[in-house]
Amino acid sequence: MSDYLNSPLRRPPASPPYAELQVMSNFSFLEGASHPEELVLQSAALGQHAIAITDRNGVSGLVRGHTAAKEHRHRFIPAARIDLTGPDFQGAEDNDKGRSETHSGSGISILCYPRDRAAYGRLVRLLTLGKRRSPKGQCALSPGDLTGPDFQRGAGQILIVLPFIQLNNKFNQFLINLKKATKAEIYLAASILHRGGDRSRLEKLADLAARAGTPLVAVNDVEMHTPRRRVLADVLACIRSGCSVFEAGFRLKANAERHLKSPADMAELFADFPDAVARTVEIADACRFSLDELRYEYPVDPVPEGSTPQEELERLTKQGAKERYPSGVPAKVQAQIDHELALIGDLSFAPYFLTVHDIVRFARGRGILCQGRGSAANSAVCYVLGITAVDPARLDLLFERFISAERGEPPDIDVDFENGRREEVIQYIYEKYGRDRAAMTGTVITYRTRGAVRDAGKALGLAEDTIRSLQVAVWRLTREDEVTDEQLREHGLDPGDPMVRLVLTLAADLRGFPRHLSQHSGGMMMTRGRLDEIAPIHNAAMAGRTVIEWDKNDLDALGILKVDILALGMLSCVQRAFGLIKSFHGREVTLATVPPEDPTVYDMLSDADSIGVFQVESRAQMSMLPRLKPRNFYDLVIEVAIVRPGPIQGDMVHPYLHRRDGKEAVDFPSGELRDVLGKTLGVPLFQEQAMKIAIVAAGFTPAEADQLRRAMATFRNHGTIHALREKFLNGMTARGYEPDFALRCFKQIEGFADYGFPESHAASFALIVYVSSWLKRHYPAAFACALLNSQPMGFYAPAQIIRDAAEHGVVVRPVDVNLSDWDCTLEPGPASEPALRLGFRKVKGLREDDMHRLALHRGNGYADAAAVMRRALIGKPALEKLARADAFQSLGLSRRPALWAVAGLPDRPPAPLFLAAPDAELGREDDRGNAPRLPLMSPGQEVAEDYRALRLSLKAHPAGILRPKLTAKRYEPCAVLLERAHDRMARIAGLVTARQRPGTAKGVMFITVEDETATANLIVWPHVFEKFRRATLGSRLLGVTGWVQREGKVIHLLADHLEDLAPVLLTLDRPGGFAGDSPAAAETGRLFKAREFQ
Amino acid sequence: MERMQARRRVVSVWLPEFATDRLARRREAGGPPPFPLATPRATPLATVAQIRGSHRLAAVNGAARRGGLAPGLPLADARALLPALETFHANSENDFKALENIALWAWRYSPSTAVDGTAPPANHGASFGPDCGPDYGLWLDISGCGHLFGGEAQLAADLISRLGQAGYRAQAGLAGTPGAAWAVARFRADDDTPVRVVPPGGERDALAPLSIRALRLEDAPARLLERLGLARIGDLYPLARSALAQRAGLGPAMRLDQALGERDEPISPIAPPPVLQVRLKFPDPIGLADDIEAALDRLLPALCGRLERAGIGARRLDFTLYRIDGTVSRVTAGTGRPERDPDHLKRLFREKLDALDPGFGVETALLATRTAEPMAAEQQSAGDAGAGQDTAALGWLIDRLANRLGPRAVTAIAPRESHLPERAETRRPLVRDAAPAGAPVNRNTDADAAAAPGIAGRAPRPLYLLPMPEPVDTLTLTTGDRTNGPPGATGGPRSNLDRGAPPVTPMAFRWRGRQHTIRRADGPERIEPEWWRSLVSQGPGNEDRPEGSAATPDIPGNRDYYAVEDDRGERFWLYRQNGPDHAAPAGALRPGAPPAPGRAPKWFLHGLFS
Repeated sequence: MSDYLNSPLRRPPASPPYAELQVMSNFSFLEGASHPEELVLQSAALGQHAIAITDRNGVSGLVRGHTAAKEHRHRFIPAARIDLTGPDFQGAEDNDKGRSETHSGSGISILCYPRDRAAYGRLVRLLTLGKRRSPKGQCALSPGDLTGPDFQRGAGQILIVLPFIQLNNKFNQFLINLKKATKAEIYLAASILHRGGDRSRLEKLADLAARAGTPLVAVNDVEMHTPRRRVLADVLACIRSGCSVFEAGFRLKANAERHLKSPADMAELFADFPDAVARTVEIADACRFSLDELRYEYPVDPVPEGSTPQEELERLTKQGAKERYPSGVPAKVQAQIDHELALIGDLSFAPYFLTVHDIVRFARGRGILCQGRGSAANSAVCYVLGITAVDPARLDLLFERFISAERGEPPDIDVDFENGRREEVIQYIYEKYGRDRAAMTGTVITYRTRGAVRDAGKALGLAEDTIRSLQVAVWRLTREDEVTDEQLREHGLDPGDPMVRLVLTLAADLRGFPRHLSQHSGGMMMTRGRLDEIAPIHNAAMAGRTVIEWDKNDLDALGILKVDILALGMLSCVQRAFGLIKSFHGREVTLATVPPEDPTVYDMLSDADSIGVFQVESRAQMSMLPRLKPRNFYDLVIEVAIVRPGPIQGDMVHPYLHRRDGKEAVDFPSGELRDVLGKTLGVPLFQEQAMKIAIVAAGFTPAEADQLRRAMATFRNHGTIHALREKFLNGMTARGYEPDFALRCFKQIEGFADYGFPESHAASFALIVYVSSWLKRHYPAAFACALLNSQPMGFYAPAQIIRDAAEHGVVVRPVDVNLSDWDCTLEPGPASEPALRLGFRKVKGLREDDMHRLALHRGNGYADAAAVMRRALIGKPALEKLARADAFQSLGLSRRPALWAVAGLPDRPPAPLFLAAPDAELGREDDRGNAPRLPLMSPGQEVAEDYRALRLSLKAHPAGILRPKLTAKRYEPCAVLLERAHDRMARIAGLVTARQRPGTAKGVMFITVEDETATANLIVWPHVFEKFRRATLGSRLLGVTGWVQREGKVIHLLADHLEDLAPVLLTLDRPGGFAGDSPAAAETGRLFKAREFQ
Repeated sequence: MERMQARRRVVSVWLPEFATDRLARRREAGGPPPFPLATPRATPLATVAQIRGSHRLAAVNGAARRGGLAPGLPLADARALLPALETFHANSENDFKALENIALWAWRYSPSTAVDGTAPPANHGASFGPDCGPDYGLWLDISGCGHLFGGEAQLAADLISRLGQAGYRAQAGLAGTPGAAWAVARFRADDDTPVRVVPPGGERDALAPLSIRALRLEDAPARLLERLGLARIGDLYPLARSALAQRAGLGPAMRLDQALGERDEPISPIAPPPVLQVRLKFPDPIGLADDIEAALDRLLPALCGRLERAGIGARRLDFTLYRIDGTVSRVTAGTGRPERDPDHLKRLFREKLDALDPGFGVETALLATRTAEPMAAEQQSAGDAGAGQDTAALGWLIDRLANRLGPRAVTAIAPRESHLPERAETRRPLVRDAAPAGAPVNRNTDADAAAAPGIAGRAPRPLYLLPMPEPVDTLTLTTGDRTNGPPGATGGPRSNLDRGAPPVTPMAFRWRGRQHTIRRADGPERIEPEWWRSLVSQGPGNEDRPEGSAATPDIPGNRDYYAVEDDRGERFWLYRQNGPDHAAPAGALRPGAPPAPGRAPKWFLHGLFS
């Protein structure tokens, strides 16, 4: 593609102008072999008059084509190809296709070009109709729909009918009928693709065109921007039909003529029909519709009679400000509010704010916890409206990051809701706006490296083994990297094998190709007019949801309003904790009333005591906390932002820490940057700062700076990053900055593209960090209980959460048929503090409704297992699970006798007729009172069984039971690390709880292990990793010898030697060596599954 | 003396690495026997099967096991753990076939041997649960056979040692019941002796310390018992059978009784393959060719009758003459499918009878099937006699040709999906090798051919395609002036990339010394080379490999085909060969220079329409 970017092409149109009207991009999903951007650029470079994109039954590639065309000042025509289905055309030959090439249907295809906005709306509604009729990914439209009243019989549309490959009467008749029935202008397509007999076919088409009154128009049926994509097109055909090239046969094209051609070439091909070429330009010029016309269609919420949305917004703002600042609005905030309101007024964004405000008000009314995140937290208006929770008085706001007059684009407001109740909010929006005006945002699922290697490898017929090896070889690669011969050899591949190289080349091309549409996790868009006149809407896999075809970037590019309704597990957890505190302690707390700046909370965090806390509980955050030692809210904001790929890639972390510790002088590269970087000690940590550097130090306009951020975040594969990079680096060096510093700043922006935190967003998160820390510090039992009930979430498994709670003095009690509910609960503890009772939800495989019934029928308690079955109608499998979880303890039955009793019950609860029978009748005579004397379980077996049923044990830590064996192997308890001096040797062993290999760490692996005494953090360098690969990757009980690294309170063990202690672990539930293994024993090793992070 | 008769003795052989041993044996087959037995094979090997949707190890050899792998492990994990692992597709069908052969071989020890692969998988702890391949073993009922080998223990030891020499790691248990023998063959406390002998009546004691898994239990009841703490067989002894059955089902109780000899468990011995033969003894030695043929005429109906009763048909037959000097002369005939028609078989042999040498006289003639396959009884056709007989007759013709010319020489033409005209058909042998036992035999399994349709709308192909395209000299009047070209052809292909010479259809061409003036032309039909074919020399073993020598590494450019008509009304298929292709893969995918300018296009004649 870049060939054309840089070449001085754009031939002078010596030949008659030509517009390419039939183009299939890769948004026809596994059909076109080029990106829309590539097609548009190539078309411009060839000097074509215009280009249309006509993807099969969809418009999902249009925005990208449109954006690229705008950037390169090329004419772009939004259009679509419609594959008609229906009884009339069953059995008709597929149009210009070999067999098995259509996704659906086999009828006539028509290219449709809307002439204006209204016609576009009708086209999109037609597609919506077809999609909502059919299962996901398909579209059913009949000729009747084309001539129907809903489509206004095609008024305002230009239609190009694609002829059958073998012309027949059926087709001729169709064309004539269509011409009669529609109000659209109709043309007949002709393409010369060198299939033999082109000339005679062309003459037949001209004949037919004259008879039917549908003028002939030249097209080239484009599926790739250059013939060089032929191999990729063949591979895509193979992927589509699930075969290899060797088996593909006629599913592949005979030649590669379906590429973009120059006007001169087209004129030559159609030399006998110059009109057909001229008509392409007529059609292109007749289509004046541009996607830009879709902007600014905000829904308008009803406002009180006689006032405008802006007035209403101002009223609400004033009212909100009074509530937020009962003692008067600070001058700084008031100035900010006025500034924002003026800008909102100028840009007419008021309706949008009212919309978001309404959603938040709805959630609050229902008691659903929510909080705005992202750049919205830059807005004081959002704060006083209750959308965000970060007090603007506490932060420097960069409102322009949120809304800028220059960008003229609507702001992005993302709101987090409790994850359990988000669906209520979504349904509220559907209900309020109707399905015509609200839908979920789509997401285009694209090929990533591994998938591309897999599919390309399969298409080339590589063996499964080879594909896997290749996938492993490319595993760690980012986009720039090339696989070296060395790496290939390492994975047992022959670098000289052309097949292997070709797969890699193809995979690189395939990467970023769309595979299918899916739905965004929380993006919702709503409009004033009908949404289905903007883009087609299709059914989502989830019932009750509809999805628009465009993704977030597309909507961004068009400036269409959307609100991200996100789910945040921690909000659910906080809400649950508030509930528990209210019911158990009688204290009412809300997000707003959590006491601020509690020093004991910061003490706790500075000790890295943060398991379960939002965001700062990860391994990396925990080693940052004692270094950063947060003392106030703003420190938390920095804490949240600093452990991110952005600052890490930009190499900003260490300078910041050194400056904070006073080990390095705080200086600024220039006076102008002092304002930008002042509060972060001269080190850029936030996204806004990186952007401001671009503005202040590299001479970007704010809009350019934002373009830079977006360029990297969105269309990064095909954007114009290089140009911006040059501009940035040159701009900074020209202003006298060190090239090295400039490069670091640029790298940081690059990092932010993927995982950037703007300050405002970090502040929103920091607030939740603070609240969850406060809960953990003051109500550890309630907090742990809420965390366990909100699983799965966070970094730690329940076993670690419970262990941490116990270390904070919480009494944790086991699951019990007579004492537990489905959720974990609080019950009176030994002192004033509550005890935490585990709920049935922790037992693997139990069903929620069964357990609710169990609790409901409990009465004064069950006397035995039979009573549970009879009264609560619990089946035998569930009872077995309860017995295996040792949940009959309060009945005096330990695990094995309970299991014996349950096993003796009938398979199903008795029919209601026999419900009156005494409990005893369920058990057999010989079982009552005289169960056999079953062998007692060893402590190790108990623990192993606990893990099997619950993935945790309250009885003991497995490492504690194995301690004598570990000592015999000269392993020390993990706790020794707390005492050992820096750079001394230690030899410890523990269960692996987490393995992490962050992309930013250059192949370093971080492993967390724990034993009964403490948790230890290991660092494994790549050379050690390679040497002890098996132990590092596969071990559940890991023995480590290494060097202690202390930095303040942060202790790591730098691994030097690793040992897989699986044989020791296997002895956990096999006390003596007895003859023969059992699978159960082999599984023991797998019980203690580590969490893997990348 | 004891009553040997009454005491049953059973050997259970376990071949823990049978699948990988077989692979290793195949690999070492080139090397000199005997195969090293005790030395562990250095390369970690495993077989892989798709189990519950993911690729998992089905069997591993010792080296792989020492590397931490076990059956049931997902392949991806295995590779991460042991990158040097070599894997092969598991083929339990072939494994069992090989095991059957071993069971037959074991007849040297006892007439009652059986394949034991029916045990539920995951019986031994070294596996990862139920997701691994089958368990391979043998049964031998050696009651009363021991003394032939110097004692039953010696018999078992000899068996294990011979298996070892053949490359199969094996261990055996010997006991009074199949269940107990099975258990001690696989489940040992510590001893690594190849043969573990349970003395008569000692089953109860021998089994007590073993895992209940040694009882060949289903997974679910075994797990339940283990959870209850009843992990050893001895733990089950004190339980009431009814209480046990109520909780764990009937299986454990039954297996326990069988192992302890309280309930009988039969072994169904394997049957030898049917080798049918008929013989004819002559009172006086014969020597004349007519006499030999007459002997064959008498033998064939007899053999075919027996084949029919056995429900099988012959694929290979030997006709052997035993000469009076104690030597033999033999001819062999093969068929394309199971046959038992005497006349047809006669025809196959008749052409070979000349090769038989009666020497000084033949005293016995023997006709025997060497390979036979199941064959359904044929309906004597009533009514529609034609169809079936035609098929049979064609089959006979093919057999006769194949016996005369060799099986690979009889082929049929089948279409092949390729845009290149010369590759659009292929030849396939009509006679296949003997099918695996039980496989359906059907001569029309050419699925590729059946699936290949024409391609809609493609320009017609000539009736006659030259074996090799022949170069022709062409006469072109003016380059670039399309109007001078013959009518009918659209302007030749040209594109933004230089993909060929300027588009011109010739005015005339000279072929085999004769000048043809082109009156009309249609084209071009552009056909690209098949880029992937240059890759297969190192690619997968694909049957679509180009015939003949290795694939040509450099790919020619595309061809533009024209159908032309000369002034005499004859029609030809010409093509122009364009320069090397832009789309050639592997390095050429991102091409540098366009083809060298000035290289004149080459024209070829490829076919005749009339």
